[in-house]
Amino acid sequence: MRTSIDTFLKSKNGELFSRVVQIGLGLLFIYASLDKIWNPGLFAKSISNYRILPLPLLHISAIILPWLELTCGIALVTNRYQRAAYYAIGGLIIIFILAIISAMSRGLDFNCGCFSVEGAESNLGFRKVFQNLGLLLSCALLEYRLWVVQPASRFKFSRFN
Amino acid sequence: MSEMNKLIKEIFILILVSSLLGISAQAVLPNGIGMITEVTLVGDDATAVAIPSVSINPNGEENAAANIDLQAAHSAYEAGSAIFLDARSPEDFAAGHIKEAINLPVHAFLDSLTYLETINSATHIITYCDGEDCNASIDLAADLKMMGFSKVNFFFGGWQEWQTAGYPVEGDS
Repeated sequence: MRTSIDTFLKSKNGELFSRVVQIGLGLLFIYASLDKIWNPGLFAKSISNYRILPLPLLHISAIILPWLELTCGIALVTNRYQRAAYYAIGGLIIIFILAIISAMSRGLDFNCGCFSVEGAESNLGFRKVFQNLGLLLSCALLEYRLWVVQPASRFKFSRFN
Repeated sequence: MSEMNKLIKEIFILILVSSLLGISAQAVLPNGIGMITEVTLVGDDATAVAIPSVSINPNGEENAAANIDLQAAHSAYEAGSAIFLDARSPEDFAAGHIKEAINLPVHAFLDSLTYLETINSATHIITYCDGEDCNASIDLAADLKMMGFSKVNFFFGGWQEWQTAGYPVEGDS
């Protein structure tokens, strides 16, 4: 199965497919960032609902995170610094997933603040976790394709010998 | 440069650019916030709890909703001068609530717009939830402020304090 995936990823269609996934992911992150950028106070309030972050870090996180989503989104769409964006977005998604699970396990119930800071968004739940896992999988696929088509891009760890 | 170093450098650049953009944007945005988290102390002096100011007043308005203590809330109740809105879930509300309070779960805020539109915007509204371990009363008060109600208080002591004081309640248990 792995070889057939590799063959597909190496093909013209595979290249087109991963480009579409990358641009789609980029546009999604740009879209998700805009409302938070425009309403930093409301986004800070959303973050504080999770009751995870120490208070001194609340404002600075609410200021930087949406812009990181935006720059990563632009990086994916324009295909520049895209690999750094896979990892930065992957890291952000893992943090989101852990935050959602942590809040759910403590019985907290509120809107997740994922795409918009206010409004008719669904509350926390496994659906949010699965949505984020889907996004994480897309990042992993894009990085995996890079490894397949450009073996030189794999990390080399020096060995003691 | 190894692939790993190049990647780390690029991630660092993305974070740096985002930080610079985010921090500078606060000077330009109409609702920009400072880098230092402001907190508001809510509750009685001895047991006051630090709440991020953005939770109470996310858009930095001049006239934000404020806390009302047990005695003031009770006076308003006795005088019949305020509407009490219970921000908890329908289940919690059914189990017991401040007498004559109306259930308006904060997550169902948008479902309650039809009801809220029937209330005069100058009416004194007091929101509450379970007590000091919940923020729903604050969230609801902030939502009501944004909707245009001029006199909104949150009763942070909430259901726990009201019940302990032996003030009028109704409900299943």
